[in-house]
Parts: sequence; structure tokens; C-alpha cells
Amino acid sequence: MKKILISVAATLVFASCSRDTLDLTNPNQITTETFWKTESDVKSALAGTYGLFKNVNGGLWGVRGVELSNGRGDDFFIRNDVAALYQLSTFTNTPDNGVSEGVYNVCYRAIFRANQILENVSKVGLEADKEKAYIAEAKFLRGLNYFILVTNFGDVAIRTKVPVVTDDYFVAKSPEKDVWAQVIKDFTEAAADLPVTNYGRATKGAALGMLGKAYVYTKDYVNAATILQSLTMAPFNYSLTANYEDNFKEDTENNSESLFEIQLSDVGGTNPWAGENANETLGVTTAQEFAPGEVAGWFEVSPTDKLFNEFQKEKTTTNELDPRMYATLIWDYPGATFYNKPFTAFKLQFGFKSMFKKYQNYTQNNELKGSKGGDYTSSINERVLRYADIELLLAEALTMQGRTGDAYSYLQDVRSRAKLGLLANGLGQDAMMAEIRHQRMIEFAREGQRFYDLKRWGLLQQEITNSDKVGKQYFVNGKHDYFPIPQSEITTNAKMEQNERWK
Amino acid sequence: MIKYTGVSISPPAWARHAILLFFILCTLAVNAQKKITGKVTEDGTSQPVFGASIQVKGTTRGAITDEKGQFSLSVNPGDKLLVSSMEFESQEVTVGAENTIHIVLKKSTAGLNEVVIIGYGTVKKKDLTGSIATLKGGDIKTEGASNVSRALQGKLAGVTVEAAGGDPGAGMRILVRGVGTFNNANPLYLVDGVQVNNINNIAPGDIESMDVLKDASAAAIYGSRAANGVVLVTTKSGKNGPPVIQFNANFGSQKLIKKYDVLNAQEWATVSNMAHDNAGLARLDIAANPNQLGAGTDWQDAIYRTAMMQQYNLSVSGGTEHTRYSFSGQYNDQDGIVDVTGYKRYGIREKTETTKGRLKVGQSLILTRENWTKMPGGWGGQGGNPVGSAVKMIPVFNIYDENAIGGYSGASGPVVNVANPVAQLHLEDITTNVTSIIANAFAELTILPELKYKFNLGYTDAFISHKDYTRRYEVGGLFANPTNNLAQASNRYNLVMAENTLNYAKDFGKHSFQALAGYAYQKYVRDSSASAKNDLADGISELDNGAIISAVSGNKLVSTLVSLLGRVIYSYDNRYLLTASFRRDGSSRFAPAYRYGNFPSIAAGWNISNEKFWSLSPASVSMLKLRGSYGILGNQEFDDYGYAAVINSNINYVNGNQSKWFGAIQTTYASPYLKWENTETVDVGIDAAFLHDKLTLTADYFRKNTTDLLLKVPIPGSAGSAADPFVNGGNILNKGVEMGIGYNDKVGAVSYSVRGTFSSIKNKVLALGTGTQQIAGGQPTHHGADATLTQAGGEIAAFYLIKSLGIFQSQEEIDAYKGKDGQLIQPSAKPGDIKFFDANGDGTISNADRLDMGSSFPSFEYGLGINLNAYNFDLNLFLQGTQGNKIYNGLRQDLEGMNLEYNYARTTLNAWTPTNTNTDMPRAVIDDPNFNARTSSRFLENGSYFRFKTLQLGYTVPTRLLERAKISSLRAYLSADNLFTITKYKGFNPDIGRSGSILDRGVDFGHVSYPLARTLSVGIQLSL
Repeated sequence: MKKILISVAATLVFASCSRDTLDLTNPNQITTETFWKTESDVKSALAGTYGLFKNVNGGLWGVRGVELSNGRGDDFFIRNDVAALYQLSTFTNTPDNGVSEGVYNVCYRAIFRANQILENVSKVGLEADKEKAYIAEAKFLRGLNYFILVTNFGDVAIRTKVPVVTDDYFVAKSPEKDVWAQVIKDFTEAAADLPVTNYGRATKGAALGMLGKAYVYTKDYVNAATILQSLTMAPFNYSLTANYEDNFKEDTENNSESLFEIQLSDVGGTNPWAGENANETLGVTTAQEFAPGEVAGWFEVSPTDKLFNEFQKEKTTTNELDPRMYATLIWDYPGATFYNKPFTAFKLQFGFKSMFKKYQNYTQNNELKGSKGGDYTSSINERVLRYADIELLLAEALTMQGRTGDAYSYLQDVRSRAKLGLLANGLGQDAMMAEIRHQRMIEFAREGQRFYDLKRWGLLQQEITNSDKVGKQYFVNGKHDYFPIPQSEITTNAKMEQNERWK
Repeated sequence: MIKYTGVSISPPAWARHAILLFFILCTLAVNAQKKITGKVTEDGTSQPVFGASIQVKGTTRGAITDEKGQFSLSVNPGDKLLVSSMEFESQEVTVGAENTIHIVLKKSTAGLNEVVIIGYGTVKKKDLTGSIATLKGGDIKTEGASNVSRALQGKLAGVTVEAAGGDPGAGMRILVRGVGTFNNANPLYLVDGVQVNNINNIAPGDIESMDVLKDASAAAIYGSRAANGVVLVTTKSGKNGPPVIQFNANFGSQKLIKKYDVLNAQEWATVSNMAHDNAGLARLDIAANPNQLGAGTDWQDAIYRTAMMQQYNLSVSGGTEHTRYSFSGQYNDQDGIVDVTGYKRYGIREKTETTKGRLKVGQSLILTRENWTKMPGGWGGQGGNPVGSAVKMIPVFNIYDENAIGGYSGASGPVVNVANPVAQLHLEDITTNVTSIIANAFAELTILPELKYKFNLGYTDAFISHKDYTRRYEVGGLFANPTNNLAQASNRYNLVMAENTLNYAKDFGKHSFQALAGYAYQKYVRDSSASAKNDLADGISELDNGAIISAVSGNKLVSTLVSLLGRVIYSYDNRYLLTASFRRDGSSRFAPAYRYGNFPSIAAGWNISNEKFWSLSPASVSMLKLRGSYGILGNQEFDDYGYAAVINSNINYVNGNQSKWFGAIQTTYASPYLKWENTETVDVGIDAAFLHDKLTLTADYFRKNTTDLLLKVPIPGSAGSAADPFVNGGNILNKGVEMGIGYNDKVGAVSYSVRGTFSSIKNKVLALGTGTQQIAGGQPTHHGADATLTQAGGEIAAFYLIKSLGIFQSQEEIDAYKGKDGQLIQPSAKPGDIKFFDANGDGTISNADRLDMGSSFPSFEYGLGINLNAYNFDLNLFLQGTQGNKIYNGLRQDLEGMNLEYNYARTTLNAWTPTNTNTDMPRAVIDDPNFNARTSSRFLENGSYFRFKTLQLGYTVPTRLLERAKISSLRAYLSADNLFTITKYKGFNPDIGRSGSILDRGVDFGHVSYPLARTLSVGIQLSL
């Protein structure tokens, strides 16, 4: 019997410590309780938010994002390798398109993170100015993500708070104009408190530039002109780089023309598809996917001949082709080399006359590895906002108010860098706009602007129809101005309704 | 020195011989008798049966076999001998003219006195109320099967065993009564009472029995871990008697059964050119002159080989009155049919048990070391592993290029980046070594004759080290690795468990009573670390030599479980049986308020044939029992620490100086309100025996209802979470019938047994997440859309596919295929393209048109084993199959898509052209504007199969030939595994072997597919 008592006692001893036995804390990760204590926590949180812009599955400046923002333009072709890309580029996409879903989801991930920063930064106890600057930076990031959402999807859900209870996961969409209001509010507030210099990160200039762009997109030309004009004077000293191509090379990143760019470098892991962890490369695979097969690329895209021809509409003052054409495209011209090979080593796959050179690492032999061994990794920063864009947007905002004279110098600045002659004085609004449209098409090819420019000019139908774009016959005006709300959002969110044109 | 020869009398046996002598003397006077000698051996293993009783029917005369299974007895011709032994089926033998007689006993299957292992104890099969499937060691045929679970396929009713991964030494997926969870669906494995992650390292020859606890009554004592069933493995113990030494050896050769029928170089170029011409795109340069290309490289021949395998097992066992022991060693060496790959296993095992007075102590220890050499995964290309790459690699390319770094050639130019499979195998070395310890020690104190206290300690440790070394290479134009790289990872899985149990057993007249109470604790720790460096010197594969650290990581996961358990088993007069059990578990995986779960069960049985009113003769129905049970089991298989929100680190960015900017933030939502997943099981069963137990039947019907399913419910993308949070969000019902039938008989000198199993299980998702939630799974190709959907009202991972309606033969047909507003449904189609069904009638083809096209779960599965014994020969056959399941053939989607620049299936030679219209193969068109190659019902196939799995012919050398060599038994056999498979499935193997998520299991994906091998082997089984 004594033994029984002992074992019973032993059982009780075990049982009594069971409560502690079951209380385990995660030894690997910080919890939300222990985070938000130091300034470095805030900086880490910002890095985790910025990083999504390059996300391989849906960051607008990651590979799929670049394919999405360019793919529908009349200057762009995507081959039928990844069906979702081919479908969106040929206007045969459906709400289950994985690429548009990726961009949508990644934007909201960034918004969730930016909202966390906004709600928690005050817990750290920073000096007031510092705290304000971090809040401004988070608002810039949030505003930029809403900008991506509104330009691509129109009416979307506005979330400015971190969900607390399960019900908070489900939010209905807001009208497009309300989303624009949120964009303008975020950029306005960001511009107020961001520093003028903040190397590699959001600045006052970046916020003002995006704000100006948002005004142009919403056709508020008066405010647009005011804001954009402020970037042409102190405290800012942005200027166009002498060499256009400096904007697409690694060694001339963050230059005088840059207002905001996505920082990319082969300093992370080696796997582009590792997900968000230490193994993930911190560059992008875009250059490899766009490169020809002869240099280990996947030749996923091609410029259309419409773009190829557009470049040749005006020669330089020395009667040569626009230097921007040489920086943007590679084609069969005397002495053309690409990836250290003569152009004859390459075969044009799709019947178009050229391939993209802009943002390609064409001084390397191929696109297999980044400088530190990252698979297919390109380290060339994606430029989000260049001063050339500011000048052309400003010219547009002025022209649209009838102030063509005021617009002239900004437009000519972009032309002059391209060695084009002086524009005739006294052009009317239409002629001025035509020139701005022509300049934007060739200045920003492969920079994700063309489709959205055409959309706000109301020229999608016309320009796509008169192009050699594959799939142009499936373009439905109005409907294809936007991507549909992703099917997964509709399925999981009872409050969400599909875009009218996509029902 | 004691000599154990046929004539000498060994000490433990002399007493029995004295009894025998007595019997002989008693009967001498009655008849003119003759003396016969004989031997009793076990069927299958040919081991001598010690202590078997041989009785002359209708008399008191008899004999008992000695440790060599031998006996002698005086008999009259025509006497009938009744031969019986515990755990064996009794046999009747008629004495003829012969003077020696060889009797082969079969381990009993119905075995009503057979003891069945249940959790924390044993019970006689006749008293069993739960549903348990048992397999004895002798039934686990080892031929061609390097691991135990492979040998189980088709042998246990209600237990599905399917391939999981193809590398040699890869495990099997065991599903007990279907799938009731979306998380880990593996059963709980216990080896000698100790929880382990898998049983792949246990030598088949070391297994005494395997018991699979299927219903809640049987498994409830394991509470929270038992919802997927429990597999109890008991290793061999010694028996009281002189030492027995056994040696088994097996040598085999494995060969690929079926290659994928793909095009040679010339044929490929023809199809490729046709596809480019139809798309209006320039032909590929490498396809320019089909007629000059010849056959090209046969990439499949380049990677497959005839692979050897060998297995050895040596064991010694025995015991005295106080101590019994058993120890053994195993060695297993298996090359894979894919070049380079292989698996080796070494192990030792020992088990002892000592009784002194009131105390019994025992322990067992299993130490194993497993080494795998594995296939690379495809180098990030779109061909997948070497098996997938070998079928997709364009035959125009060459294997070798002596001028290239690394020495291999490969794909280049504007083609899909499929990595040279031979180069993959030879330029990347992937090895995994696992050292495992499974230890168990117990002390049992008999406090009163009826009351025992037992303290049981279990310990398992698995040290897994993984090494992946990639040489620098340039393989063709699409793959390059500028530096030698090394990645290493090590994981440790450690489990400690302690159990205190009190067991009370007493019979009061016709009442029999057993009670159990206990307390258990377990702690599970998983430690992982990984590191990788680049730029190692040629020929060096140790990290110190690397220059650039490319990745370092490490983490630790701990979980604990505390439990109270109790059980009462009561029977009255061997007629009425009742079992009730209860377990309460507390788990660290849940938030404090949701930590505890209660798991009760109750079961009853009725031995009708023991009733007084039972009047049927044993010659018709010899036994009949009805059983019924009800109980609740749990599942806690989800992430550790999932209830607390965490900050994810290392989500990095780059700062303006172009250096790494460490990032950290909360990326997902926590799941603070999670509780156990519960499975409620109702089981009714019948056990019956007929014709003097010659025919036995066990049948069960069950209903398993899983509620509070631990599930990742997709939340809106706009909530911004990087992953979906777990919730208790679903309800799955599994119901089915399972049946086991056995028949044993003897015709003349031929004794035979037939054993069959049959299971039919259906699942239905009753509720999922928010109600409209769908979980997609089963990615079939590199870019292909998912093939399965799981949603309320349907089956788990049902195939939801756009339906293919055949081929458009003309433009008129395309123009006539219009939506409700008159728009063309497939505007991009051309004659020869696939017509898809616009199921939702919206005028376009999209994922919204997917329809339920069938199930990856079979309507039923079956196994049939036949054993024949005659003279000294034995023949064993095993057949197995599934019926009614579908397989999505993702590899065929790749090979018949004709939309991507890699090799195609031979069937594409029959592609539609204006002059070849009578075909089901659409036109070849490389840009595939109509998406003929999309995920659709075009690639869904009948997955039913019938497989002749095993044929084994054995010969047992007659004892008299062995006596001089002092060998007690020797059997040699020839065996063939996977002789043939009858199936309509067009892929490598209808048992497709996809590991990973349960939602992918019916989808054959080229990146991970693996073909089936046929194995021929010879073996010996020797006993001293």
C-alpha cells in the first residue's frame, strides 16, 4: 500500500506542476508585446514594409508587378508562357488571374504593415520630430500602395487601422474618388513631415512628387501644378542626368534625377522565391525573365513595333536616332552588341523588331547570377519617380490649364537631354499635349506608365487599336481600364462586391 | 557442455519427454503401434514451433515438441493427430504409412485466444470491443520492401498505405480510415510504447506484431493524438528456452517497369515545327532539320539503371524463467533505379525483461542509422527532379560537354529551362543521415496479485543532418553556378515521455474486471539549424573552406502534453463485454483558456455464440460476436505557439548604401481562440468464424465526424496577412465499411490460406470556414492552375476542372459556340483547338467554369493474399488495388500541352491537322492562344489499378538434411515484387507517391513523380 501512496503522490506532484509545464514561450520570435520598444524596431518595421515593393509575387516593382504594369500597354508584348501574364496582356484575364491578385494582396500587406507602424510608433517614446518623420514615412508607404490599388482596381477597400477582432478582416470597398482622397491625404501628410534628404528612402520630394502625380491622375491640374512646381525650386535641387541611361544602371542609382526608387541589391539570400526570410534575394528577377534565351533569359516580353517606330519619329539635332532609343531597345543596327555578343547572336522570337535593353544587365555575359551569387538576381534599382516625370507631369498640368507657354521649358528640358531640337514656340494645347504624349511614351517605356497614361487621357481604345499589340481585339473599353477585384477576395469577403464592369 | 542434438535430452525438455514416455507406456498395451517422429514448423518463416501439443484424437496420448520443434509418438495408422499451440491455428493430421511427419502451423488469424495489444495493456481477442487490425511478424513479408509500411499495403482493412515520395528509403503515407484533417494526417506511431515520427527505420524482421487501433474505443486512451488512428509496433521478445539464432538475407535487383513514351529528336523537331508554324512564329533553330537529327539523346535511359539491393538481419533470442532477451542487427543497402540515388540502413536492437518477485523490469533500445543519397530538385528550372527533367528534356541536346565547367551540356537558347537530369545527379550531392534512438524502460510492481503499478519512460531522439553540395558548373546556356556551394542543415527531434499507470485485474466468478488509471507527461523538442556558404575550393565540401556565408538560420520548437487517463474493461461470462475509457489532455499549443480536452469512449461487445440458446454447430458458425463503440478523439497537429502574435524577422530590404537593411514586423494574424480538433467515431462491427474456424470474417462500419477542424481559413487578401490564420473552422465526415476475410484449409498434402481485405471509405466536407470557403490544392505543373478544390458539400480535394468537350473541327463550330449575349465563348480558338464547357454560362471560359469531376479517393480498395504449402514448398501471392479513384496527370499536361519548348509525349504525333481530324489530340500550337494546355478534365484519368504485388516461392530444406549441420531450419526463396499492374492510368505509376499536403495526393506532378520498379530477389532464412 505504501507503494500505491508513493505513486499517487508522484502523480500529484507531476499534475501540480502541469500548469507551468504547459506555459511555453516561443523562443524564436519576438512577440508583439515585446516589440515596439526601440527606434530600431521602427526602422525594421519600415524595412519590412518597403521590401514588399520588390516582392516577387506582387510587388509593383518586382517581376510580376513590372509585367502587370507594362503588360497591357500598346508598347508591350508578353508571350504565352505564364498563362496569367499572357491573359492580362491580351485582355483575356479573368478575376482569378494570379498576377493581379498578387499585386492586390501585396499592396494590402504593405498597408497592414504601415498601419502597424502608425499605431505603434508612439509606444517607443521617440523625440517628437523623429516620431513625426516616421509617421510621415509610413503614410507615404501607405499612400503609394493605395495609389497602386486605385490606378489598377478603382474602387477598393480603405483600411487605415489594424484589425483587432475577426470581423475587422472584412471591409467593403469605397468609391474610387474616396480612395484617391486617401491617397492625397496620405501624401499630403507625408510631405509635411518627411525630411528633404533621406537617402534611399521616402523624402519630402518623393511625397510631393507622388502627390502631384495623384492630382494629375485626378485631373486637379491647379493643385498638381502648384505641388509639382514646388519641386523645381529650393529646398529641392533635382535635375535630369546628362546621360538618360544613367537612370537604368546600377552604378548611377539614387542620382540627381531620382525622387524615389526601389533599392535593389544582391546582398540577401540567393533564392528569389524563398518567401520573406533570410534566404530571399534582395534583388529582382525581372532582367532575367526579360532577357533573351541566348543569355539564359526567359524572353517573356518584347517591345511592340509601335514603340520601335515611335522612337524614330524625331531625330536628334545631329540627325541621329534618339539616344533614348539606344538606351531602351536593342535591335539590329551596325555595331549593336548585347551581353557582349553581336546582335546577330540573337534571334528575335516573336516577329517584333527589337528587344528591351533598359534595366537589363547587358554588360554581363548573361542573367544567371547576381554579383553575390543570387539566382537570376538583378541589382538595378527600379526608379519609381524621376524628375523627367515631374517635368512632363508639370508640363501636362500647365498645358491642361491652357498655360502652354509655362509648360514649354519643362517639356523642352526633357527633349534637350535627348538631343532633340527646340520645340516650336506657341504650340496650342492640343499640339502641346500631343508632344507630351509622344515624349511620355518614349521617355518611360518599360517604366510602367504607358497604360495608365493612356487611361487618364481616354486614349486606351484608340491607341491599342492602332497598335500591333497581340490581343488588342479583346480589349473592351471601360472594362479593361481596371483589373477585376480578385476572385479570392470576393470569395472570402462577403462585404466585397465585384467591379460593375467585371460582373 | 550440453549438446542440443536430436537425441540428447536438454534440461528444460526432459520433463516433457518424461510425460511423453508415460503416455507411451500407458497406451503400449492397447494396440500394435508404430513409432513416428515429426517436426512442427511455422508457416512462412519455417521456424520450429516449440511447445506445440500433439494429441492423438480421442485418446489421452500425446507429445509436446522440443525447442527444435521435434517430437516422437507411438501411433496407429489412421490415427488422427490434433496439433495445437498458442498463437497458432490448430491442425488435424491423419497418420499414414510414413514414419516421419512434417507439420506446418499457421499463425492464427482469427486466433480467438490471440492476445491483442491495446493501449497500455493487452486483451484477448475474444474480449475485444474496439476495432483493431493486427498483423503478425510472420505476415510482414520483407521481399523487395525495405521498410515495414511498404509491406503493409493492402493487408489491413481500413488502412490505406500509399507511396510518399520515390527515392529509395522514402516512407509511405499511412491513412487510417480516410482523411479527417487538413493538417498532419499521419497516425500516431508507438514503438514498444514510445512515440516516434515514423517507423521506416524499424527492420521488418524485428517486428513481432503491428496493431492498428482504428475506432475511438481502441484509440481513446491516446486521446489528443489519436484521431488519425494509432499504430502500435511491438518488437520481438525472447522466449523461455535456449537461444535461438536466426539469420535472414535477401539480395535483389530492381528495374524500371515503364518509361514515359516521349519523342526522339527527329519526332520532337517535327512536332515543334508544326507548333511554331501553327502559331505563325519562327521555328526553333535546333529543330531546323528534323531529318538530320536522328534519335538524339534518350534522357530516360541516361538516368535509369538496374539497381541492386541487399538486406541482412541477424537475431539472437532466448530466456530463462526470470529473464528473457532478444537482440538483433540489421543492414539494408538499396540502390535507387535512378542513378546515384540510394539508401542504407544499419541498426541494432535489444530488448530484455526480468522478473524477480513482485518486480518486473524491462527495457528496449533501438539504434539506427539511415543514409540517403537523394535526387536534386531541378535547379530552379521547370523540369523538376531528374525523373521529371528526363521526360521533358529535348532529345536534341547532349548529355556531356567536356569543355563546359562541370563537364555537362544542356538546354540552351529560347527553350524552357529544363536542367540536364544527368548533370543534376552528378553535379549536386545531396545526402541525408539520420541517427535515431528509441529507448524504453519500465518497472512494474505487483502490489497485490490483482494490482500492478507501472512506471514507463520513453525517449526518442532523431539527429538528422542534411548536406547539399553543388559543384560549380555551366550546363548549357540556361544553368550556371559560378562557385562551389555547400548548404548544411541539422535537425534534432527529441521526445521524452513518462507514464505512471495502475492496473487492476480480477475475475469474480463469471465476472472479469480490468481497470487502468494513469498519468502521462511528454515533451517534444525540435531544434533546427542551417548554414550555407558559397565559393568553396574545388573538391572541398566542408563549410570552413567557403568564402561567402549565404544563409544561416536556426530555431527551436517545444511542445508539452500532460494527460490523465483511465479505462475499465468488464466482461460477464465471456458473453457480455464492456469497455469505457477516458483521457484528459492538456497541450501547450493552445492558449491557456483552451488548453484541455476530454476524450471519452465507450464500447460494448456480445459474444452471441457463447449464449446458451446458440444452437448452431461449430461446423457451420463457430463464433459470432457483435461489437459497437462510440468515442471522441482529438488532434492538435498544428503550429507551436500559434496563439500568440509574433514579429517575423529577416523580411529585409536594401538601404541607400545598397547594403542589407534588416526588417521585422508582424506579417500574419495570431489564432488566440484555437481549441482541439475533435473526432467523434461510431463503429459497429462483427467478428465471425465458420466451418470450425476455417473461415473467419471481421467487418466494421464506421462514421467518423471531425468537428472544430484546425484549418487555415483564407481571409480576404485585403486584410493584408501574409498567411491565413488557423481557426477551428470545419467539419468533415468519413464513413465506410471495411472487411477482412480469411480461409484456411488443407487438401491432401496441400494446405492453403486465403486472406482478403476490403475497405470502402467516403468523406464529405460538411462545413468549411466561412461557409463559402474553398481550399485549392494539387498544383499539377510548374505554372498550371490548381486541380483540386475542397469546399462544403464536396469531398476533400475533389477534382474541380474546366470540362473539355473535345476538339473544334471547323471554324463554323467555333463561331456557333456563343454565349447568351451572342459573343464567342472561345474567340481565340482555331480548328483543332479544345472546346471547353462554359459551365456558368457567362460567355467566357475561366476558373468559374470548373465542375466537380470526381474523387482522388477510391470507391474501394482491396488486398488479397494467398499462401500455399505442399511438401517442402510454399507459395505466397499478394494482390492489391484500388477502384474508382481518379488521378490528375500533371506530367501528361506538360507533355501533351505542346505549348512549351520541351519534349512531348509520343501521342502528340497524332495531333490534329486539317488532314488528321479523327484524333483526341488538339493541334500543336506553341503560343496556345486557346489554352488547350490549361488545367482541365483533358488530363484527368482513371486511377484504378490492380497490382500483382508479390509472388514468392519458398523451399524449406527437410530437417533430416540439416541435422548434421546442426541447423534447425533453413528456407530459401525467390521473390518478385510488382510483377505487373493492370491500369488505364497513363503515368508512371497509379500509386503516385506525392508527398506533402493531403490536398495534393491525387495529382501527379512531374516535378516530384517517380516511376515504379520491379524487384526480383532471392533470400534465405536460417535458424540455429
